[in-house]
Amino acid sequence: MKNPLNKRLFRELRADLGKYLVVFVVMVIIIGEGSGFLVAAHSMLKAYNDSFEKYDVEYGNFRISEKLSKSVIKAIENNEKVPVKLYENFYVEENIDNGSVLRTFINREEINRASIHKGRLPKEKGEIAIDRMYADNNKLKVGDTLSGENGSYKITGLIALSDYSTMFRSNDDIMFDAKKFGVATVSKDSFDEFPTHFYRYSYSWLYENEPADEKEETDMAEDLMKEISSLVTMEDFVPRYANQAIYFTGEDFSGDAVMIRVFVYIVIVILAFVFGIMINNTIQNEAENIGTLRASGYTRNEIIFHYMLPPLFVTFVSALIGNILGYTIMEKINSDLYYNSYSLPKYEKLFNPEAFFETTLIPVGLMIVITYFSLHKKLKISPLNFLRNDLSKKGRKRAFYLSRKIPFFTRFRMRVIFQNATNYIVLLFGLFFANFLLVFGLAFPALLDDYAAKTKDNMFSKYQYILQVPMDVLGADTKLKQMIAAMEYQGAVETENENAEKFTAYSLKTTEKNIKEESVSFYGIENNSKYVNLKLDDDDFYVSRAYAEKFKLKIGDMVTLKEEYANDKYTFKVTGIFDYMGSISAYMTKKAVNEKFDLGDSYFSGYFSDDEITDIDPKYISTVIDYESLTKVSRQLQISMGGFMVVVQYASMVIFMVLVYLLSKIIIEKNQTNISMAKILGYKNNEISSLYVHATSIMSVLFIIATIIITSEFVVEIFKVMIRLEMNGWFDIYVSNNIKLKMFVMGIVTYAIVALLEFRKVKKIPMSEALKSDG
Amino acid sequence: MFLELNQIKKSFGKGDTHVEVLKGIDFSLEKGEFCVLLGPSGSGKSTLLNIIGGIDTADSGVITINGDSMSEMKEKQLTQYRRKHLGYIFQRYNLIPNLTVRENIEVGAYLSDKSLDVNEMIELLGLHKHRNKYPNQMSGGQQQRCAIGRALVKNPDILLCDEPTGALDSKTSREILKLIETINQTYKSTIIMVTHNDAIKDMADRIIKLKDGTIRKNYVNEQKLSAETIEL
Repeated sequence: MKNPLNKRLFRELRADLGKYLVVFVVMVIIIGEGSGFLVAAHSMLKAYNDSFEKYDVEYGNFRISEKLSKSVIKAIENNEKVPVKLYENFYVEENIDNGSVLRTFINREEINRASIHKGRLPKEKGEIAIDRMYADNNKLKVGDTLSGENGSYKITGLIALSDYSTMFRSNDDIMFDAKKFGVATVSKDSFDEFPTHFYRYSYSWLYENEPADEKEETDMAEDLMKEISSLVTMEDFVPRYANQAIYFTGEDFSGDAVMIRVFVYIVIVILAFVFGIMINNTIQNEAENIGTLRASGYTRNEIIFHYMLPPLFVTFVSALIGNILGYTIMEKINSDLYYNSYSLPKYEKLFNPEAFFETTLIPVGLMIVITYFSLHKKLKISPLNFLRNDLSKKGRKRAFYLSRKIPFFTRFRMRVIFQNATNYIVLLFGLFFANFLLVFGLAFPALLDDYAAKTKDNMFSKYQYILQVPMDVLGADTKLKQMIAAMEYQGAVETENENAEKFTAYSLKTTEKNIKEESVSFYGIENNSKYVNLKLDDDDFYVSRAYAEKFKLKIGDMVTLKEEYANDKYTFKVTGIFDYMGSISAYMTKKAVNEKFDLGDSYFSGYFSDDEITDIDPKYISTVIDYESLTKVSRQLQISMGGFMVVVQYASMVIFMVLVYLLSKIIIEKNQTNISMAKILGYKNNEISSLYVHATSIMSVLFIIATIIITSEFVVEIFKVMIRLEMNGWFDIYVSNNIKLKMFVMGIVTYAIVALLEFRKVKKIPMSEALKSDG
Repeated sequence: MFLELNQIKKSFGKGDTHVEVLKGIDFSLEKGEFCVLLGPSGSGKSTLLNIIGGIDTADSGVITINGDSMSEMKEKQLTQYRRKHLGYIFQRYNLIPNLTVRENIEVGAYLSDKSLDVNEMIELLGLHKHRNKYPNQMSGGQQQRCAIGRALVKNPDILLCDEPTGALDSKTSREILKLIETINQTYKSTIIMVTHNDAIKDMADRIIKLKDGTIRKNYVNEQKLSAETIEL
């Protein structure tokens, strides 16, 4: 015979439809999103990982100032330590009329090949295939015409280049920008028509003997770098494992997947505790029935299983529907989110057993464990105590003393609060989580806005020109050759612009072990600079506030930095901190920088200027740093994370509302008989509400304030750790009072809606409730 | 003897609040015997019933049922003991509110591999018309019938009744008592009934009077009356 108690399942669900439905909806959304995300990420990650082999992604690339001779190529390819095969991967960069920069390659056939999303690769002169995401961000489509400084092109296809899944223009960039920077390919004939001074001579390599693991790959890259350095002077050397444009996507998938998993589990645990409270409430209401069943011979496990059925059923059905949604709607939404950020090859949706395990089996398992143990603990009480409705395991608790000087209603509310302490603990835990999400959702976009605004205010000059210094100036075969090159260069980069001020730019890498390696930009500035507000002596070494905060530097600290492509190390003593958040940078006099790096007295490699400099040949200009380039971090994060942050804001509000609703509803239901009796005695509805609903109001307001303060600090610390470990650059990280106020108002408004519902519920409790027998 | 109690003692509380509720109870019952436990409030009759029912434990003493001693039983064995041998009826019917009459009776039937036919039980209880109703759609008497059905359907060796008519009017009480009498005669169940109501003793085979935790009287009722004729 089947256990007849199981027949209660659907009646239980129907009787508590409000509560179960709310939990069901939240679970479906959470599991659906978790499953959708993991399925999309898994499928795209598979396509991304496969792309390395499928499209022959390089093991690395290096750039030099001119085309390599055949003998040098041969020497590099046949070096003894790490034989490689080199591939020309030349490109040009040109300014496009829409304000972006396009990096154009020749159609790739052997290495870093393209995945075609739409249309075809260009064949004729004047045709171009552009990156799919760049096209989306700039509202371009196949058939459109794209105009730049070298002419106009007809777009024939939308592609994804396998070595540009993330649009990092430079590997030192803090963030990618797929609106202001894109990649494209043209036919060989088209490419040959670009003026040669636009050419960037980049070479990609594949190893003859593939490395067995990451360690070997690193060692091989380091060996190769030494071999190439001994033959030519490189402008850039980026092995695949260090190439953000290649690896960032894979890391982001993995990082996001961890976040989503944690998110799903936290919500499930909170809901399991809510179920635990609901079950406790049911047990209290049914104490005598349980006592009778136990007295009649029902085992504890039979009763436990019976009371576990509704939450498990809801979890199971939610998981089922969540998975269906996950594989359909949510998968599409999540993959679209990724396609907004990354330029990925086409992918096929794959069944992900891990996602099923993590979003279905683990939530169901968590629910089983938490509900089982909370029931097991509760049902340890003897059948007799159930029959007597005495559910306290530690015997009758002595009443907590409350002074009579406290007004009666206040004392009453305090008793309600003590009676429901467990509910309030879960509420506190839930509010912490909800506010954590909310502060994340609100603070992040605000920080980006703040960063953009501060950058505008703190720019040294409207334009910073970093010059392209020919390699011979830095070191030629003969001293004479170097001097001639330097004279030529200096003549070519002098400007008539009166507002222009020279400075020396130099770059070194950090050596701190626990913080992501990063480039430090050195500014060697003129004495009495009109753009950088610093008075420096020749032995001064100032660091920007961004640098000091990220690397926890203070005045007097010693800093060791290293050359990017050599083993030279330099140590500096910090003599001051310059209040500048725009970059990780260091400041010395121009004279001191030139001496330190042996660049020559008259050397300079950049200009500050508030006016555009127009009289220098573009081939001598490497980079122009302006507002647009400095704020690409915030712009890209706004694009890629903006939608996600809105989702986070709504999710936190829903979790907040659901928790307050469920827990305050349970408190009212627990006291249904008392409320009914109070009505019989003549208490008015608003008086009763002021006792039972206001108790929760007081706790909710206190918890809202407490969790806003705690979570704000918590999120700031998490952001700092994340940026130190994962990202280049630094910005002011804080939660403004405005955001805290906004959170408080959102919390109060959300609670007010719930309180109104609870007030209606109190009104509806009939007086007959107190007179009813238990049936 | 089917049921034997030997020197059952039980006390509650410590220090000033220490109360000795049972001070050494001895009695025994034959199979099929109908025993009434009488006594004023605080005499220890409900505590004694709970100890026999295995939902409370004695501080000392031995209870044997059909030769099995309860004293050394752990919780799991006690549950099995209740499952196998006992049926319980309470003053407050303790029916499960969202199960119908029939389903509430099935709750009892599920526990036994020698359960009686649920339909027959419903007929016997006169609840056929109400079998698909929820408890709160019925009167107190009907609910108590249902509770009796739940206890009886598993065909227990001993039926323990704690003030089964305590919440009912005299007419309904008589109906319930008649039903218990029929059951006793039909199924030869041993019945132990705790009651305040002195009149009920007249229908019992054995009457045990408790006062202050001791048995004051324990005798066989030579002039047994039927439930129909006792004066409630």
